[in-house]
Amino acid sequence: MSTLLPTPGAPPRLPLRRPARGRVVGGVCAGVAIHLGVRVAVVRWVFVGLTLLAGSGVAAYIFLWVTVPAGEPDAVARALADPARARAARPNERPDGPDQPRGDGRHPGRAAGLRELTSRLPLTDIAIGVILVVVALSLVGSRFGWRVRASWLLPVLIVVAGALLAWSQLDRAQRGRLLAHAGGRTPIGVVRILGGIALVALGALLLVGQEARPRDILPSAVAALAVLAGAALVLAPWWLRLITDLGEERAARERADERAEIAAHLHDSVLQSLALIQRSAQNPVDVVRIARTQERELRAWLYEDQPRSDTSFAADLKAVAAEIEELTGVAIDVVSVGDVTPTAATEALLRASREALLNAARHGAPPVSLYLEAVPEQVEVSVRDHGPGFDPDAVAADRLGVKESIVGRTTRHGGTATLRRPPSGGTEVRMVMPLDLTGAPVAGTDPTPVAPHPGGPR
Amino acid sequence: MTDTPAAPVRVLLVDDHDMFRAGVRASLDAGLEVVGEAADVDSAVREVQRLRPDVVLLDVHLPGGQGGGGAEVATRCAHLPSEGGTGEVRFLALSVSDAAEDVVAVIRAGARGYVTKAVDGHELSAIVRRVASGDAVFSARLAGFVLDSFGTQSADVAVHDDELDRLSAREQEVMRLIARGYTYRECASELFISVKTVETHVSAVLRKLQLSSRHEIARWAAARRLL
Repeated sequence: MSTLLPTPGAPPRLPLRRPARGRVVGGVCAGVAIHLGVRVAVVRWVFVGLTLLAGSGVAAYIFLWVTVPAGEPDAVARALADPARARAARPNERPDGPDQPRGDGRHPGRAAGLRELTSRLPLTDIAIGVILVVVALSLVGSRFGWRVRASWLLPVLIVVAGALLAWSQLDRAQRGRLLAHAGGRTPIGVVRILGGIALVALGALLLVGQEARPRDILPSAVAALAVLAGAALVLAPWWLRLITDLGEERAARERADERAEIAAHLHDSVLQSLALIQRSAQNPVDVVRIARTQERELRAWLYEDQPRSDTSFAADLKAVAAEIEELTGVAIDVVSVGDVTPTAATEALLRASREALLNAARHGAPPVSLYLEAVPEQVEVSVRDHGPGFDPDAVAADRLGVKESIVGRTTRHGGTATLRRPPSGGTEVRMVMPLDLTGAPVAGTDPTPVAPHPGGPR
Repeated sequence: MTDTPAAPVRVLLVDDHDMFRAGVRASLDAGLEVVGEAADVDSAVREVQRLRPDVVLLDVHLPGGQGGGGAEVATRCAHLPSEGGTGEVRFLALSVSDAAEDVVAVIRAGARGYVTKAVDGHELSAIVRRVASGDAVFSARLAGFVLDSFGTQSADVAVHDDELDRLSAREQEVMRLIARGYTYRECASELFISVKTVETHVSAVLRKLQLSSRHEIARWAAARRLL
């Protein structure tokens, strides 16, 4: 099939997949265009042209539609190239998979695109397919001098429409492999199947019982149904077996995938770290640092839902703490309660927190504690170190500049920052940043309006 | 902290890693006597019932039993009197896990506290003594979990002391300080109360955590399991 198509060379070819975006009917043309590196319009015209040649374009299209799996070519290529990232890429592979809350939350753009797609599919699917088939059939018919009779054409069209309806369901099921497995068959899928069966049955009846009266058609229809039911009865066990086998196979494959992913991750991170530790065994400071970094990474991977970097202030803050930990080798205990979406104000708070952490790690005594408490109205960050025996004057002098940068940064955005020395020792920096509910900073203790000089000198 | 009882505190170590048990055994100080070890749920239950230790150091993840891990041990051995003293057998959860549902499950099953395995021997000994004397032990992270599930806003503050589903203002303050990395003693001096009062507040929070039917606990743990 594809040998008929123009093949300009684009050396690192993307795999042949039917993307969800930019499709009109089944995404075949778009997929082929991406695969071959040519413009979609060219491919479409080629298919239209082929259709005029005894309808082979339609046949090619349907063949590709059925055989080419759906998916985003670039994501698939990435997944193939880098198995460690397969987890990130996989959701794209099954754009019509069950509505997992995580998937939706993380790919808002994709979810919107799908919704648009599902609302568009049934109409275009059927209309364009039927038109193409009619054109093709009439062309073939006229070529062979075959006079198309209305009594034949209408039933055939009905059968074709029904088949299309049912096949579009298959396509859908194929795209969302997990859909049927998880029992998440949508009502629209059932409607498609039932509608398809009804249309095909109606078309077949009209086709077979050309001139017969309805009274004669009925018994034969009943007989046909009885035969079908009998066949279904005989085939049911085999079919059920097939379904179970398929499910088991699929589950096994998923487990294998997961194992491969875990293995890839362990190889990339844990084994590398262990090798590093062995090599630097004579340097305890390095060993502790490497082990600590690895522990943090593994914990994040195992226990935490990794939010996108621009949606979670808590995640940003943890990243900053990790960075400081790496930089200074001092362990930081992070406790976070609640979360907010980052804004300009929290960005300032983040930078101030970084200063405070760096300071605590460099000049204070461990353990260093970082505490975040976020509610929609305000974010509070507290950085505490436990210095049992330090010289308060030296520290005060040392921290004057930092104090300025922490306090100044926070107050410019309407927040407050206080440097405290608890009677039991150590130092605590508490920064509170009020947020209004739209996320923009509001005037707190600082009477200066924020907007006119963002980040400007005070 | 609390005064060391004349008799050594009898400790049972429950962990499925031999190396870890050996490490803990070596790091505990002289005032603590390790009377036994167990490596899975069933043997842990058996040993607890046989030995009646003062404190059980309980790993959250344990093989065997019904698959409930440390929480299952705590549930199956709830309210057993300890042999030496007049108190009950008390459980202290030790875990490498940061997963909220693990920690909360074992606390709700009756453990008196939760510490991470990174804790050093000296600190662990002090904590074991504190648990043996009936106090609750909260790490910063557990305090964070508590604040997360009970809420931090003023609307979440209990009006009456006997409300199980909300923390009192004082309890919230204590939890905040612990989450910030303050020790009990530091909390006490910060709030101008005695260490004993801090311990009372922490025990009250522990009780609420164990008895509260607050739906957030379930919902929040469930939300975190969606990994």
